Order: sequence, then structure tokens, then C-alpha cells
Amino acid sequence: MSANIREILIGFGKGKQTDIATANPATNVWQLKKLNAALANPKLNTESDAEEFGKGHEFATQVFKTSWDIAGAIEKYLSSDIAAWAMAFGLGKVVKSGSTPNFTYTCTPLNPTADGIELPYFSFIEQIRPGGSPVIDRMAVGCAIEGWTIMVGSGPGRANSKINIEFVSSGKLTEPSGITLPAATVEKLLPSASLTLTINGIDYVTSKNIVSLETSWKNNVRLDGGFFPGSGFQTPGDGASGAIRGRLEFGNRQGALRFVARFENGSTELTKLRQQTAGTAVILLTYDSNNSLELTWHKVSFATAEVGETDGIVTVSVECLPMWDETNGVVSAVARCGVDGICQ
Amino acid sequence: MAEKVWMRPPDGGAPREVEATPEILVPLMVQGYSQCEPPEEVTEDVREHS
Repeated sequence: MSANIREILIGFGKGKQTDIATANPATNVWQLKKLNAALANPKLNTESDAEEFGKGHEFATQVFKTSWDIAGAIEKYLSSDIAAWAMAFGLGKVVKSGSTPNFTYTCTPLNPTADGIELPYFSFIEQIRPGGSPVIDRMAVGCAIEGWTIMVGSGPGRANSKINIEFVSSGKLTEPSGITLPAATVEKLLPSASLTLTINGIDYVTSKNIVSLETSWKNNVRLDGGFFPGSGFQTPGDGASGAIRGRLEFGNRQGALRFVARFENGSTELTKLRQQTAGTAVILLTYDSNNSLELTWHKVSFATAEVGETDGIVTVSVECLPMWDETNGVVSAVARCGVDGICQ
Repeated sequence: MAEKVWMRPPDGGAPREVEATPEILVPLMVQGYSQCEPPEEVTEDVREHS
């Protein structure tokens, strides 16, 4: 019987795996809903013997499994729960405090000297009609967040506050997953209307000038570096089953912040661009006192500022350059939610 | 009063108990401190030895 793509269930490790090859146990997996239909399809890379001499022709006679790739994206309305998860796994370093119903996850990028460059791992499960006759039931083991993007726009609907999370994987696949997903977590949405925003000394919400903003983090994971002598195979001990990655390390990490605001007499964006004024950028989205996300870029200057229009109103589109602050680094996130054990 | 957490320095030295506020935690995390379990309390052996 045909399946509707809206039957897709996704679950992923709430806590981190003990190592890249050891899947999250079912007790440490949560289920959340998503917006995008795309699946995290495993891709088998192959090679042939076409180039080898001794066959008498240039055609392939054999195909060899080379390696496995699995990557995907999770698009969601922004909630305190997914925000905490994305910040913890995406930035890599987390301190948990608090207790039910207010857990606080303070997150920063990993310090390469003290923490290494390997990101925390989680398992990602996709299922359609799991059980006796599944359409899809698989688990990618050893996934890491490649990057996240938070988008806040003008308007009352949930679509005006979203997050898009991209992840990559070791390539290790478990099929069937062997996981019975728990009920979907009831998330606490962080709506656009809750935004408070101060960038480079200007409170853009009090002045009623903010139109939209987008902020992102990218780990630029070194995918090729995941394959090293001894990195392992899809089926342990079977050298013909295709190699999998034995590590996922970040490359040159990048942060980004851009926003559109109304431009009026006295607006300072162009002056700050010319003078290269630097300051903090603090983005706060709140559901209630127990559920929020505060993202701080500790030192930004304006890289570009272009005056244009949005719906007939004169606006300025600003791209910020996140810089390193000697005390606080480049970015930190304080995520509050009622879910325990995220990235623990 | 802010909750406290234990943080271990990157050189593996003695953990510090600090307030769990971003103003305190973020600079430590940037320096390489990581959250850790509280150190085990040393209890004095009060048994009499013959």
C-alpha cells in the first residue's frame, strides 16, 4: 500500500553518543516534527575496475563498494527544545544547569586546544510505518551538525520563526533501526513576536524598525578527513561493505548575522559601516520564563549596509561580521527548556 | 541566588564551583573549562585504631 510522505517520523539522539560508532539507545532518543519532506537517503559510492589493465578492454567487469554518505536537513518552526538541541550539538560545548521545568544549556563553540575538533555525535532515525511491514525504518549512526540557520520574519504565523539544521554522518547505517520512537515532544515555540534584539548599541524592537533577521553557524565539517586508515566498514570485519567515517571534525567555522531594518532619519547603520563600529548583537526569543533562546554574537561590525525597500518602506539590509572577542569568544547561546539531558 | 555548577580547567587542575550564569560560564568555556561532576568529599576516618 502506498505511503504518504507525511507519515514520516523522525527521531534523533537527545543525548550524545558515547562515540561515533555507538548508536544512541532508544531511551535517549526523542521524536520531533519537521517541515521538510526531504529524507536523509544513504548514498553508496562505488568504483569499478574499468581502469585496470589485464582485462583486454576498457569496460567495467566488477563494481566495488567504496564508501557511504548520509546527510540531511531538519526544517522546523523554532522552539525552545530544538533550539537547545541545535545550539548544544551545533556549537559543541555545553554546560547544563537548572532542573525541571527549567533546564538551562549554556553553549559555546568548542575550544580546539582544550576540547579537540570532533563534534558531539547523535543518531538520526527515519521511519514510515515502523513495525511489521515498514516502508522505511533506518538509523544513521554517528551524525554531527554541519550548521544551523535561524530565520525571524515579520508576521504573526509560526513560519516567521524557523530553524534549519543540516547534518552529516559517518555513513554507518542500521536498518531496521531497532528503535521504537517515543511520542513526539510537545514543543514550546519561540515566536517572532517575542523577539528582543540589540545590535551594535541599537534596540531594533523598541524602535519598531526590525523587519527580519537571519543568523547562522556552519561547522564546515571535514568530510574527507573522516576516512582514514582504520576508519572502519559498514559491516565490521567485512572489507567489501564500504568504508565509513571514523571521525567528524569541524573545519573553518563561520558565523553569520544579517538583518533588515527600517531606515529613517537618524538611522546609524551607514555611519557604523563607515566607522567600522563594533559591538554586541543579542537576539532573544521567548515562550515563557522557562523556555527561551538568547543568542549573543559578542563582537560584530557591519560588513555591508545597503539601503533599499521592503513593501514600499525604505529599509537597510545589513550584513554583520562576527568577530572574536578576547573574553567571550565569537558566539554563545543560552537555551532554556523543560527537556533534560540534551547533549549530555 | 544563582545555581552553581562545577567546572574543570583545561589543564586538568582542581575543579571550581561557579555560578551558572552566562557572564561567568562563557568566559570559562572559551578558556577551555568543561563542566564536571562535583569532586568527591573526603570524609575523615574517625574509627579508633587499637
